[in-house]
Amino acid sequence: MSRLTALIADDEEAPRAQLRAALRRCWPELEIVAEAVNGVDAWDAFLEHEPAVCLLDIRMPGLSGIEVAERIAGRAQVVFVTAFGDHALAAFDAGAVDYVLKPVDDERLAQAITRLRQRLDQRATPPLPDAALQGLLARLAAQVQRPAPVDVIQASLGKEVRLIRVASIVYFESDARYTRVVHEDGEALIRTPLKELLAQLDPQRFWQVHRSVIVNHHHIAAAVRIDEGTMHLVLHGRPEKLPVSRHFQGRFKGQ
Amino acid sequence: MSARDRNTERIDWGQLMYPGPRPDFSDDQLARGGTDRPSRSFLIAAAVNLVSCLVAALQLMPVAVTGWVLGLTLAALFPAYHGAMWLWRRPTRRRLLLASLAAMALFLAVAFVLRALQLEPQLFRWIVNALAALSLACAMGFWIITLFRAHQIQARLRELDERERAIAMARQLATAQIQPHFLFNSLASMQHWVDSGDARAATLLRALTGYLRATLPLFQRDQLTLGEELAAIERYLEVMQTRLGERLRFTLDIAPAALDQRLPPGLLLTLVENAIEHGVLPSLHGAELHIVAHRDHDRTRIEVIDSGVGLPTTPQDGVGLTNSRSRLAQAWDDSARLTLQRRPEGGTIAGLDLPLYPLTHAPTHTAAPTPAQRPA
Repeated sequence: MSRLTALIADDEEAPRAQLRAALRRCWPELEIVAEAVNGVDAWDAFLEHEPAVCLLDIRMPGLSGIEVAERIAGRAQVVFVTAFGDHALAAFDAGAVDYVLKPVDDERLAQAITRLRQRLDQRATPPLPDAALQGLLARLAAQVQRPAPVDVIQASLGKEVRLIRVASIVYFESDARYTRVVHEDGEALIRTPLKELLAQLDPQRFWQVHRSVIVNHHHIAAAVRIDEGTMHLVLHGRPEKLPVSRHFQGRFKGQ
Repeated sequence: MSARDRNTERIDWGQLMYPGPRPDFSDDQLARGGTDRPSRSFLIAAAVNLVSCLVAALQLMPVAVTGWVLGLTLAALFPAYHGAMWLWRRPTRRRLLLASLAAMALFLAVAFVLRALQLEPQLFRWIVNALAALSLACAMGFWIITLFRAHQIQARLRELDERERAIAMARQLATAQIQPHFLFNSLASMQHWVDSGDARAATLLRALTGYLRATLPLFQRDQLTLGEELAAIERYLEVMQTRLGERLRFTLDIAPAALDQRLPPGLLLTLVENAIEHGVLPSLHGAELHIVAHRDHDRTRIEVIDSGVGLPTTPQDGVGLTNSRSRLAQAWDDSARLTLQRRPEGGTIAGLDLPLYPLTHAPTHTAAPTPAQRPA
């Protein structure tokens, strides 16, 4: 039998532990492979573990649960976990979006699990239509406020602090404990992890193409498919090629 | 059993000599519950009673007296009606006594006048009997009206009090604006800590109870001091501290001179809640929160500073902030200021700049005079 894996995400420790305990009681076969304490961790953990089921808190630092679900885009079954007061969810009670309320009670969780199992057995595409998520995002916009995207990245270089305009950045790449910032006039190392940068950058301009690469799409010249699972990006006037992992290849479909 | 119940059980011997409702209504109470006129059905009932008593009395008398008795009764109607209305407007036992004595004096005077007329002795005796019966009937009528009216006003006042209490309670809950999100997230943490026997359950329960106890009475009053408001804020921060642990680091730096600054209740609490909700909670690595207050001559400056994610690109005043501004304007016109600024090193500063005393010392609400309870 194949493993049944899950990711749970909640920014508060106790509700997360409560959810974990409830899942152990109600669904012992489910293996919790990752626990995330914010939205960026949740997304990163999804890319790393590719779990079949994601239970996401809606209000989390970094990325909201809904934004994470939007990125997961049907590659896993998503159940939202939320405290009372996110009325927007009630509108989707019909089943478009599954959710459980905190504190999680076993009975309600068991219902959600039954539905999850049915969908997993049928190998149905997860019922998270984009329109439903967009609607949810719009409704929650007032509740989940996002700070303005940064327009300057500060990088220390010896004794000086370089200010790098975000518009001049070509790509970011994870490099061990640092993030390498490649811009038009050179490169720099910063301490902010790539997954956290993701939440601070304008998603219209910067596209994540790999768990460890974010690229400014103005600099992409071409996406080249090598074989079934491999793709890379060619940049304007630069020799290096950036890998595109399977999850992100959908973005580059010939029209 | 309360002291009031015991009092009603004791026999009031004073009623024997000086009957009537106790205690008297105040002018305020009469203005609230006693301005109406007698209803039409009440007047008809009184008239039917009067006529049937009169018919019964006339049966007992010789025919020769009938005209006299009818005439005297009709003549007595006018002063009796005015006496009754006088009691209706203010049903006190003093007025009851005065009205009854006046009726008796009037009928006595009529009897003396009739004696001077040298009527036939037999007829005169019947007339005197009728006058005595009329004055007794007046006194009885006055007594009944006074008691009926006093009960009516009392019942109406009780009803008005209850309605006002209900309205005050609804208003209080509405203005307290306890966020369901805050409440249920706290309960989710508590649930886990209770299930797992973690000692933090007790800490959280204590802080949450203290918060609710301090918050609800806050809103019964139109104004309170910074010191009182801080007591509720500290409980709120304790709840959040227990839930968030290292993610929230807070300090309070309050000058003692600023403690008696007057504030609209819950205003500063809203600013602190906003700093947590929109500054600290969305911040990836947690944030610091400082509450600073100091006095400068006749003004007080209060700041809620957080090192969180900062204001969104297009800061929109939430309901809380718009509401806060209008409440400030109510108390101080435009001499009070509420500002929200971006902190250069990241985060937000919410600033309150207030004159020491509000323009109008709004009176506290009379329907709910319970003083704010302080958590132990």
